[in-house]
Amino acid sequence: MNQHFSKKAVKIDIGDGAAIPVKKDRGLFNAWWLTFFGAIVAIIYLCVTQPEPYWRVLKFLPDGVLVTFQVTILSILMSLVLGLITGLGRLSRNRFINLIASTYVEVIRGIPLLVQLFYIYYALGRLELFKGLPPMAAAVVAMGICYGAYMGEVFRAGIDSIDKGQTEASRSLGFNRAQTMMYVILPQAWRTILPPVGNEFIALLKDSSLVSVLAVADLMRRGREFASESFLYFEAYTMVALVYLVITLFLSKGVSKMEQRLNYYERD
Amino acid sequence: MNGIRPIIDIKNVYKFFGQLQALNDVSLSINQGEKVVIIGPSGSGKSTLLRSINRLETIDSGSIIVDGKDVNGSGNDINQIRQELGMVFQSFNLFPHKTVIGNLTMAPMKLKKLSELEAKKRALALLDKVGIKDKADVYPSMLSGGQQQRVAIARALAMNPKIMLFDEPTSALDPEMIGEVLDVMVTLAREGMTMVVVTHEMGFAREVADRVIFMDHGQIVETGTPEHFFTNPEHPRTQKFLSQIL
Repeated sequence: MNQHFSKKAVKIDIGDGAAIPVKKDRGLFNAWWLTFFGAIVAIIYLCVTQPEPYWRVLKFLPDGVLVTFQVTILSILMSLVLGLITGLGRLSRNRFINLIASTYVEVIRGIPLLVQLFYIYYALGRLELFKGLPPMAAAVVAMGICYGAYMGEVFRAGIDSIDKGQTEASRSLGFNRAQTMMYVILPQAWRTILPPVGNEFIALLKDSSLVSVLAVADLMRRGREFASESFLYFEAYTMVALVYLVITLFLSKGVSKMEQRLNYYERD
Repeated sequence: MNGIRPIIDIKNVYKFFGQLQALNDVSLSINQGEKVVIIGPSGSGKSTLLRSINRLETIDSGSIIVDGKDVNGSGNDINQIRQELGMVFQSFNLFPHKTVIGNLTMAPMKLKKLSELEAKKRALALLDKVGIKDKADVYPSMLSGGQQQRVAIARALAMNPKIMLFDEPTSALDPEMIGEVLDVMVTLAREGMTMVVVTHEMGFAREVADRVIFMDHGQIVETGTPEHFFTNPEHPRTQKFLSQIL
């Protein structure tokens, strides 16, 4: 998840998540179709030719897919809120706020997500305050806090990419700081922010497989359960991998569609 | 002061950018309805002076009073004061995510709580005035520079300001578009708007200005009527500057 932001970059590049297909990029476009339909064909082929055990595995997974989406969506919502606060904090002229936001980002970026998950569920779970925290809640909190730090950088870069003249024009009309952010900066920054947020969403969905260690019955966990009961490790994990692949590619397509639509006011 | 209170009163203003002295003991009074054109070489502090009138730049010492209110006074709401001061930038700074009419209606609706209907009615009248009513529903990126700047003027006027500040409004324009923007500004001047204009357009200064101010090295070097200025400037630095650009 190495992110390199250059100041005033209009596009934020993040080297994570599935590559977002761009119309102009013919090669990638084809690679997307090849992988997406290849995965679907593989799933269908396996289920038709060897329904036992592949069809049985596939039928076992949908509950997990739902949980995976549940964890991902709740975590992303939490990370968006944290990310906006963090991004604004990092841009704040108040040194204290700036320091807190920056420290949060540094701390979170320095600790592996798996360790954070263990820490919140098992270590903090020992404290009286957090006793009985359901695994699902611990998972969402941990993933939300972790991705909030990354999202903070996305928001910061997105807000920073908007020309200073926009702020000056808005303030000159009589808008205060908050109004300027809400009515002028964020509606524009959103276009820059959305593609990396989409990428983070995809990355988070993949990372959410880690929550299977907390006994959250996500897609990965369902696959593990099937495998450990049937000892069909190869078949179970093949299906799990293919399902993740289809979901991820489908979402990356959605992100690119959204990105195109967001460019409406710059079309000539 | 002849009993007339100036609408802008700038007194002994100093401003530093690090080591650089951008404004050096600048004092200037502008009366209601007056049109003041500020000229001078780049780096002379003319834009800084203009921008400090609505506190886009904060000054280090001195005072700037706009319509009786201290711009840098802690008790005064700067956002309120700024509503009295329309500002037009060199780079237009239209909001690209809003249509032309959206650019004009946003501030009146959010800040003056005008209804959408009322704000639109007024916006269309202003667009008519600057000659681009037919472009009301397009996005700014579809407009030429001259059109964008006219929209920017209309946007500032939509807040019904008492004073209009222009920061090199034609400097970013292709030559063939300068005229259309200046025409709008001349019309505005004829209607009695108080205007402070930083520009290199000497024709405009000659035609419209009540007073021309020449700045250099952060100081007001010379002040006078356009006739005085363009026929017999007194200060050698003014003479040199005018000989370079005319």
